[in-house]
Amino acid sequence: MAMQLAGTRRTPRRWVMRAFTAFAAAVVGLAFLIPMWWSFVNSLRPGDETFSYLNPLSWQTFFTLTPTFENYAALFDTDLARAIGNSLFISLVTVIVGLAICATAAFGLAAFRFRGRGLMFSVIILSFLIPFDAIAIPLADMFRDWNLQNTFFGLILPGLGNGMAIFLLRTFFLAIPEELVEAARLDGLGWWGVFRRIYLPLSVPALIGAGLMLFLFQWQAYVWPLLMGTDRDHIVGPVALSNLQGQFAVDYGVLFAASMILILIPLAIILGFQRYFIQSVSTTGIK
Amino acid sequence: MTIQSTRAGARDTRARTGSPGPRARRPLRQHPALIALAFLAPALVALIVLRLAPAAVALWDSLFRTSLLGGTQFVGAGNYLDLATNPDFQNAVGVTLLFTILINPLQVATAFLLAVLYTRRAAGSKLWRSLVILPIAVPPAVSAVIWSVIYRPDGLANAFLDLFGIPAQPFLTSPQQSLASIMVLLSWIGVGYWMMFLIAGINDIPGSYYEAASLDGASGWRQLWTITFPLVRRPLAFVLVADTVSNLLVFAPVQILTKGGPEGSTNLLMYDIFTRAYTLGDLNTAQAEVVILVLITIAIVAVQFRLLKSED
Repeated sequence: MAMQLAGTRRTPRRWVMRAFTAFAAAVVGLAFLIPMWWSFVNSLRPGDETFSYLNPLSWQTFFTLTPTFENYAALFDTDLARAIGNSLFISLVTVIVGLAICATAAFGLAAFRFRGRGLMFSVIILSFLIPFDAIAIPLADMFRDWNLQNTFFGLILPGLGNGMAIFLLRTFFLAIPEELVEAARLDGLGWWGVFRRIYLPLSVPALIGAGLMLFLFQWQAYVWPLLMGTDRDHIVGPVALSNLQGQFAVDYGVLFAASMILILIPLAIILGFQRYFIQSVSTTGIK
Repeated sequence: MTIQSTRAGARDTRARTGSPGPRARRPLRQHPALIALAFLAPALVALIVLRLAPAAVALWDSLFRTSLLGGTQFVGAGNYLDLATNPDFQNAVGVTLLFTILINPLQVATAFLLAVLYTRRAAGSKLWRSLVILPIAVPPAVSAVIWSVIYRPDGLANAFLDLFGIPAQPFLTSPQQSLASIMVLLSWIGVGYWMMFLIAGINDIPGSYYEAASLDGASGWRQLWTITFPLVRRPLAFVLVADTVSNLLVFAPVQILTKGGPEGSTNLLMYDIFTRAYTLGDLNTAQAEVVILVLITIAIVAVQFRLLKSED
């Protein structure tokens, strides 16, 4: 009897709760979308109209009936197109070379048992205890002595060895059955063959996750490219964008167009590999 | 699981259960150390030269002082003592401390509440959740540039305030509001990221716990505090520590938006190091500051490892 009463009493309340939850979920989601959406709409509007529809707010603040791609076309007249191209180049090279370096290292840690493995592992752990940005200034000083400033090599190098990526790949590699390796070895496969033919094909999700990490590290980099004192030929997207922002007369349309490209490229990559991204984040994070 | 436990390194951070495997003979591994080292070498060199060496260099350089005439002189803890009495550094430490104390609990609490909200069954929940996650693709420098326009006197932020009848605010140009304004733009790109960890944690909780609690008549609020909260303590602890470290290193928004001002109100430690090294040209003292920053982060991350270990 009492249970029944509680049940009937709860049903309308549950509906109210559900509606409230849905409402709150929508409001919060939209609030997070607004800055990006507003930037997007403004990237489709001439720069001198950026502040036209703000006082007071109206539907036109967030929509435009006459979208134009002029701003995106205008990007090519500025250093920004070059800078975004540089960012892409740096990030892609980092992913390819960095994956090779990190995957071999993870294989070395996962497939062999040897004296000193613990020490090797702690070097890798220690390297991600020290955040890169914190040591960027002494490292920039070293790179200046080695004449690496204003070179793509100098921009790419710090992104290659990534302790987190090694850690992630190692975790995956550890799950590969030892029997498989031993059978392959008995069949005469060398260690390089074991790595290439067994470990790599079995760990594609982890490789994608690690690749994403390496990519985002470079794509989001700001302190390091700034310290490397990049000239016009080596400047990267975020630095070029912030230079634009600091100018006296800013074309906001172009500024938003550049921002959107710098956001949409990683966004497309993250969304495309969403599953692997979440997997990589949770493996390195919690385990 | 057996494979993992037989191979687990002694220093592994994950606690391994199960006894070591019985396999003792390994005929195929005569020189594993050399082969392994060959595979490890490129990464080890990269990490040692590009991560550990700069920290060592900073420590070493921080003990010297270079005079204008070009001479270098050993001063021991001199640079550290200088820093301790330097008003700019004292201000930077104060601002960083205030920033740390405010932003981390706020971000983690928001991420937790949003994780709870978006794991409830509701219409369109997945879609709205992805809108919160979207900004994690925004590089911090780009976020700073976008918000510099939003925060303009005639920008979007004041337009929204106007909607509620609130007079226009100065945001970045006011010493009282500048730090909070930076926190908002950082949270926009940060909260969704931390929320993902907490959503994963909440989804790991068996649904039967909630069913049992419902049968016992526990309210939703009660279930949140007695089931959800204790069971996501581990991801929560991780998120809090990782968030703290990332917020200690905030640089781009300060450099792009406020240059540490107005009146030093946003002069966070990373920016103070940057100006000391390049604007003031006092590299040795800046290195001392780098050492302090690295030590603080290592201490925090060490706490993180302990937290995760003890709860395994």
